[in-house]
Amino acid sequence: MIGLVLKDILVMRKTIRTYAMFLLFYLVMTVLNLFTISFTTAILQLIVMLLPMSAFSFDEAAKWDRYALTFPLGRRALVSGRYLFALVMTVFAALCGLLSCVLVSIFDNQDMILENMMTVMVCLSLGLLYADILLPLCYKLGPERARPYFYLVIFAPIILLLAAYQLDFFGPGSLSFLSSVPDRTVVNLSFLFPILPLAGMWVSYRISCRIMEQKEF
Amino acid sequence: MTNAIEIRGLCKSYQDFSLQNINLTLPGGSIMGLIGENGAGKTTTIKCILNLIHRDAGQITLLDQDNISGEAMAKADIGVVLDECYFHDTLRPRDIDRILSHVFSTWDSALFDAYLGKFQLPEGKFVKEFSRGMKMKLSLAAALSHRPKLLILDEATAGLDPVVRDEILDEFLAFIQDEDHAILISSHITSDLEKAADYITYLHQGKVVLSEAKDVILDRYGRLACTAKQLETVDPADLVRVRKGSFGCEGLVRDRAAFQRKYRDLLVEKTTLEDIMLFIGKGEAV
Repeated sequence: MIGLVLKDILVMRKTIRTYAMFLLFYLVMTVLNLFTISFTTAILQLIVMLLPMSAFSFDEAAKWDRYALTFPLGRRALVSGRYLFALVMTVFAALCGLLSCVLVSIFDNQDMILENMMTVMVCLSLGLLYADILLPLCYKLGPERARPYFYLVIFAPIILLLAAYQLDFFGPGSLSFLSSVPDRTVVNLSFLFPILPLAGMWVSYRISCRIMEQKEF
Repeated sequence: MTNAIEIRGLCKSYQDFSLQNINLTLPGGSIMGLIGENGAGKTTTIKCILNLIHRDAGQITLLDQDNISGEAMAKADIGVVLDECYFHDTLRPRDIDRILSHVFSTWDSALFDAYLGKFQLPEGKFVKEFSRGMKMKLSLAAALSHRPKLLILDEATAGLDPVVRDEILDEFLAFIQDEDHAILISSHITSDLEKAADYITYLHQGKVVLSEAKDVILDRYGRLACTAKQLETVDPADLVRVRKGSFGCEGLVRDRAAFQRKYRDLLVEKTTLEDIMLFIGKGEAV
């Protein structure tokens, strides 16, 4: 499985290098206070989520799966390798987000580190959730046919929330109950939040394994 | 010496094609050539052997392991070269070495390096810069570097020039020097198999029509060249297939020596695998 993750990294090293430059750029911009932490961490997760999708495309172009199934690894290992790669990338993006939190708090002397870290954890959760949804879709439909769903999964909630806000769907004061939730609870919840999509990843993995078991190469 | 591959009653159906009751045995220490026209079922058989597709019926044993329940154990000792190079264009041979050293517990980086040197493959060049011949040699180097006992090759020499093909065939012959090793190779290029194979299995329309030692086939089978009138004098039971043309007739004879004893006036020549394929593929039943 390590070999398969290594393969993904080596195949996409050029892409990863380019993304790393973006990452550095956003990090610098954030430290310089030109971007907010929430914007940077969201962008990082978005960029990183493209990598597993690209890995599927590269594999499809090379017909890698057919070859990889001649290895003594089995179909589940192929799926495990891809999930591990997605997990490593998502966590890496979150770590970069956390690093930017620390740097911002050092350079800006702001006392926002906890709030910023909460943002990172929420972004990490969303990144994991996207992986949970998109990886089985990629196995089922292939990367090209799954790509529209990628944009749908990312942008549909944003559009819906914006539309609801514009249409005043929630009504005045309908979300005011949120302010009554104690700060401590919000902080704890945000740090526990990634556990949910992480657990969902197990379900997603099982679904992907089942799809893979039925496939013919 | 055990059998490297044993296939019993293999069946696999698609909408427009089916493999029917395939039986095949590849003894250790030998090379078996799998021949047949396009769509005859060679690749489907190899895919079933490698469990890339789900068979409908039958049993496949690889190196004494069931190919499904003992898949991982069997595949640890198998090297595979398929019809094209499946390495990503953005990989280099040294990357492949790093990847596969984590895949096979028996991977030998020094051996892989030796093959790269032998095949004159630059380790730092990207796969996309390789010619087809280089890619196939890279695939072969990758297939051999975990010291497998069984090599499975699906049209691995197709589209290669005779020099590269000869180089690869030499490698097969070197591999087979160890009597625990075996090779299953599917190919259209029957001349290569005549050089290297010990056994030939001929698939036609999803069925095994011939599976025997190559020398037996080439010694026993014969090609009868005669006129239409002469053909009428031959007992249909003595011929496998016939081809009738405006200039004469040809027939595939199953037992050349016996035929020659029975029909002293008729000329029966030695035949080739290609002739046999053409007779069975294009000839008429007698």
